[in-house]
Order: sequence, then C-alpha cells, then structure tokens
Amino acid sequence: MNKHIRIAAALAAALAAGGWMVASAAPDSASQTNAPAAAQPAQSGMQKTFAVVDKDGKRLPDYTIPSDTQIAREPNADQINYGKRLLNETRRLLPQNTGASMNCNSCHVQEGKKPMGAPYINTVNSFPQFNPRANRVVSLEDRINGCFMRSMNGKPLAKDSDEMKAMIAYMKWLAQDVPHGAKVQIENAWPIDTKLVGDPVRGKNLYAAQCASCHGANGEGKKDRAGDIVFPPLWGDESFNIGAGLARTYKAAAFIRNSMPMGVNTHGSWGEGGVLSDQDAVDVAEYFTHMPRPDFAGKEKDFPNGKKPKDARY
Amino acid sequence: MRKFGIKVAVGLLAAAGVAIGGAQLLTANRKADTAASVDIHDRRLVEAGAYIARTGDCVACHSVPNGKPFAGGLAMQTPVGTIYSSNITPDKQAGIGNYSYADFKNAVQYGIRKDGTPLYPAMPYPSYAIMPDADVQALYAYFMSQVEPVSQASAASTIPWPLNMRWPMAWWQQLFAGKRQFAAPAGADEKLVRGAYLVEGPGHCGACHTPRGLAYQEQALSMADGDAFLSGAVIDGWRAKSLRGEAQGLQSWSAEDIGMFLKTGRTDKVAAFGAMADVVEHSTRYFTDGDIASIAAYLKRLPAVNGKLAAFPPKTDSTTAALRDGRYDSRGAVIYMEQCVVCHRADGQGMPRIFPALAGNSAVYAQNPQSIIQITLEGGKMPANDTDAMAFAMPGFKHLSNRDVTDVINFIRTAWTNQAPVIGDNDVAQIRDFLASKKPNIVAGGNHE
Repeated sequence: MNKHIRIAAALAAALAAGGWMVASAAPDSASQTNAPAAAQPAQSGMQKTFAVVDKDGKRLPDYTIPSDTQIAREPNADQINYGKRLLNETRRLLPQNTGASMNCNSCHVQEGKKPMGAPYINTVNSFPQFNPRANRVVSLEDRINGCFMRSMNGKPLAKDSDEMKAMIAYMKWLAQDVPHGAKVQIENAWPIDTKLVGDPVRGKNLYAAQCASCHGANGEGKKDRAGDIVFPPLWGDESFNIGAGLARTYKAAAFIRNSMPMGVNTHGSWGEGGVLSDQDAVDVAEYFTHMPRPDFAGKEKDFPNGKKPKDARY
Repeated sequence: MRKFGIKVAVGLLAAAGVAIGGAQLLTANRKADTAASVDIHDRRLVEAGAYIARTGDCVACHSVPNGKPFAGGLAMQTPVGTIYSSNITPDKQAGIGNYSYADFKNAVQYGIRKDGTPLYPAMPYPSYAIMPDADVQALYAYFMSQVEPVSQASAASTIPWPLNMRWPMAWWQQLFAGKRQFAAPAGADEKLVRGAYLVEGPGHCGACHTPRGLAYQEQALSMADGDAFLSGAVIDGWRAKSLRGEAQGLQSWSAEDIGMFLKTGRTDKVAAFGAMADVVEHSTRYFTDGDIASIAAYLKRLPAVNGKLAAFPPKTDSTTAALRDGRYDSRGAVIYMEQCVVCHRADGQGMPRIFPALAGNSAVYAQNPQSIIQITLEGGKMPANDTDAMAFAMPGFKHLSNRDVTDVINFIRTAWTNQAPVIGDNDVAQIRDFLASKKPNIVAGGNHE
C-alpha cells in the first residue's frame, strides 16, 4: 500500500476510533502540567453539616465537622494536636494508664467525627452531667477517667495533667462554636431495640464470618508492623474489662450495627455498615461481650441506687 | 469556478466511493472461510470452552454488575460518546443465537459481525486472532449450549454521526489487525510459551496495559512487535500499570506475588481495584495453578522498557518516625493522619490482605497518577476470592476538596520510600470531571438515556 493511502486510511479509521485515543491521552497529558493551585478554583469540599438546637429547642447556626487542617489556625494548636494524638494512639502514648490494647479512637470512630460512631462532637457541651451508674453529677474529666479505668482497663489521669487538658482541648475544638447546653443533631449510636434477644450461637457464626478477619479468630485483635493497635482485642486479657460500656450487649450492638464491619463499602466514613441487621448486631454482641475479659475492681460501687441495666456484666 | 467546484465534488464522491467500497471489499476478504461444524453438545468441548471463556475474560466486559452474564450493556466511555458491550448470549434475536461457527470465528478473531459490520477494537479481536481453531470451536460450543439466552437488545452507542460510521473500521483492521499466528518467544520452555500465549492471546492483557497509538491501535501486540508491549496505558480513567520489569512496573513483584494477585486479587502489599478487580473476580481466580504460574513466569521475564528506570535508588524512610512522633510536616501529612492512617498505618504498610500498603505499592508510585486519584475520589472494592473470608473496600473521598486530595496524594507519593512525581490539583479536577460525566451501564432492558 502506498504511503498516502495508508495515511488517508489511518485518518478515516481515526475518525471513528479517534475518540478512544483522546480518552487515553487526555489524562496522560494532564499529569505533566503542574499548574499552581491558584490557576484553577479548587472545588470546595463537602464536609458534613448538622443542625444545632439549644436547650429550649431553638435552632442555632448549623455545625460543620471541621477538618484537622484547621487546627493550625488555633492559638493552642499544639495542645489540640497533642490531644488528638493521645486519643488516636492512647495505648502507645499512655502505657501507664492503659491495661488494654485499645485506643480511645478504637471506639470513637474517625477521631470522634463519625455519626453513630460515638462522636465527641457534643461531649464538651454535655458535661457536667448526671451519670446513672455513679448516681451523681460527673465532670468531663471524671468521664474520661471512667473510660481509662473501664474501656482501657487502666488507671486514671490526673485531672490537671497536660494530657487530660489536651484531650479536652481537642474535644473543645471539635465542638467549634456550639454553645454550652446546645446539641449538634448527630446520633451517638444506632437506636438498637433492647427487646431483641441475643443468640450467642448465631453470634459466634456471624463473628467468624464478619469479624474474625480483623479481630482474630480468638478475639485477640491485630497490630501493625510497628506494634500499634489496628483492630482492638474484643476479649481476653488485653481487652476492655467487664465495667466498660462495650461489655454490655446492647451498648455493643448499638455501636456494631452501624460502624461494623469497617472497610467493606465504597461509601460511609470508613466504608462501614450495610451488612448486619439489628438482630445480627445483638447476636454478635451477645457472643463476644460474654467472652472472658478482665474484672473491674470498682464494680461494687456501680449503680448504688440499684437500677442496674439488664445487660450489665455483673 | 463552477466547473472546478463540480470537479471537486465528483472527486470527493469518487474518493468516498473508493473508501467505502474498498472497506466492504476488505471485510469480505478478511472473513474466515470455514465450513467446520462444531458439536455444541460435546461435553468435553463445552467444558474446555467454559475455561477458555475464563482465560478470555469475556464475562467482565459483556456483563454489568447485577445483570445477566454475557447480556452486554457495560458502558465504555469515549469523549465522542459511550459504547456498550453487546449481548453475546445465544438468544436468536438479541444475541448470537443465529451465528454459525464461521460467524462466531469472524466476530471473535477478526472483528466482523454476522452482518458484515466491522467491530470497534474495544473488542480485543487483535489479541484473540492468535487463538487456535480448536479453542475457538470449544468457545463456540460453550456459548451456544451453556450460556443462558437473554433477550436484552444490545444498545447503540451514543456516538453521533458521522463519527459513528463503521466502514472506516475495515481500513483500521487492514492496517492494525492483520491475521497473525502466535509465535513462541525464542528459547522459551513450555511454561513460558504457555504464559506468553495466555498474555498475548486470550488474556488480552495488552488491551489495557499496552499504550494505544493515534488510531487507537495497540502499539505492539507482542514483545516481538515492539517495546511498547505491556508498558502501561490509561483506560477509563485508570492507569493500567506497566507489566514490564522496571521500577514502576513489576520489578518489585516476585513471581509468587503475581500469582497470588491473579488468584486472589491481593498480596500482602497490594489489592486489585477498578477493572483489574473484575478481571480477577470473574476470570483469573479460576485459572489453573499451572496457567497462573506460567503467566507469572512470563511476566517476570519481560525486561524494563527502554529508557525507563529499572529500579528506584535506595531511599530511607523518615516518614514513619515523623508521623509517630506527631511531626506532621505538610498539609498532606495532616490529612493523611486524619483520613488514611487508621487503615494504611503510620508506616504506610497497611494490614496484610486487609488494607493495602501505600509504601512500596506500585499503583501508588506509578508515573501517571490517574489510578490513585480515581480510587481516592471513588473508593474501590477488592475482588471476592476463594482464599479470604472478606472482600474489603475503600470508601471514596470525593467530599474532600481538590486541594485536599492533591495534598494528601502528593504526601503519599513521596512519603516512606515512595519516589513518584507530584501532581497538581488540576489533575484531580480532570478525573473528577471525567467521573461525573461517565454514562451508567445498561441493566436488563433499560435505556441508557
């Protein structure tokens, strides 16, 4: 074939198929131009926004979950960052206060920013608060130390320690300008029906199918190569003790229902959910909460008014 | 003047006549002349055909998620319009039920529909051309007797006239998809020959992994055909990585890694995503261990592309210590610690077979960033396999701004021991626009508009 016919034919073919090469070439060439950020308006993010209601039911300006990149603007940025790290990496940074291989954010999903993942967003503005377990008004410091002694199976922090102040500084930053007493309309957990009866045998099978890949066949959890906790142990010596909220069937189920298993979807804060029904969550919670775990020394002092919930472990 | 105009018009008409008429002649000459009849009820033939269909990955393109197998409707995006894969079930009206073996062979190996229309090269007939007759016959027996007929009409493309005219494709085929035979690589043993055949032929790896030329032709159909073979390309907004033995190709992958990847869609370090997840889920996971080992052995034998970096220079990881010490030295590092670290970890190593590593992951440090941008925006799901109890997924982060995505990707591409060029937020904007304009697949009988 002579050269001209070849070119003409290639052009004709390119006419029909040419779109394809544009498809493959366009992104290629794009990667070679590194235009400065200012050259194009950066598409604004679409962070989650929630209504805010004060204690009289009056609507206040909406709340938007802030990005960590905004921390740097704060006068106490270092303190907020330290608090954030303590909540993320509690076991490694506070070994004296943690008996369990847990981090605060093992349960407070996505740094306490996830709806139904035990968010910290309303925490600062909800304390001091009456605590039915203690049967008295407790401060935020008391509440955090409750977590250290129960969920972390460890020891309390000094209330005036830098660590305590830093964690509260993070929570305060996370609450942004929401005034005390007002509430961001974000759910802490799925409203699980406590009339559902858990079936631990079914729960055991569900655990094997949906949980064991990450939390281990024996609930032992998994650490990364650096030895940091990725998936916390769900029972055994390194898990939370029987005094923890998560040791209670329905508390655990309410968390599991919408935050577990993680990493199985392309949507959601961490790709969670859409797998377990309410009954599934109660069954799996009934199974693993009743597996062996450390005792809680102060359990006798809990519920002094005698109104112990039916799913308490003691 | 007027006379000249007429002359030009006549000349153009004549040229068009030659072009169109020539195209028809080409197609007629190209058609296979086989009178072979195939016993579609021969059980051994059908079983062989079922496996060959896996090696050809027919189902991935000719099905849509939640649709019937082989009923077509998968949307393939081009800037001039969307084309849809066809129904290749043995339905007599909507599918290939009326195809003789010769019709089938012409479509599969030469890209000619029963009515003589040339097929777009989205159908990898240039690769299938090297399949032996016996295999194509087995494939025919399988499709005709085992695939469930589905009466879902194949959808027309959205490409407008005149770009949708098919006759120029005959010329394209003449130039770029000539009849050819498989030639075993020189000095290869049986295992390597099998690997080369599967990669070049039914596996049509080059359809995604070989760069395309100006006319969308694969720049090389085998190693003997040119150094571009399997050197990496961009398709559907994904970067199909280089399968060659260079730093950003498969240099860091062992043969065992490749085998594990084809069998399960993951290794301790990486996970398949995008179109490759479909390939693993529907096809390579069903390959025999022998075929997997053959492909791995062949791919490991491919040299680095001429002029490309054979291996990265050593780099010390200072990122892990910085992140664990709370030193977040860039905006990207702050976003990484907020959005990514829970799964991918401070050391970037992820969790073996659960969350892929980002440090030392060849999808992350590819020269071109399309894949890492697309998966960051859209998320991705690992293929299901027979080894792991769960198929994990990554959530999409399209709620983050272009600047956030750019900053975190640039952090990831240069952190730990990674050494990849940085991107600009216009790169993210382009992929975001591409994703937003994607036409959806067609599900059972639905219309595409």
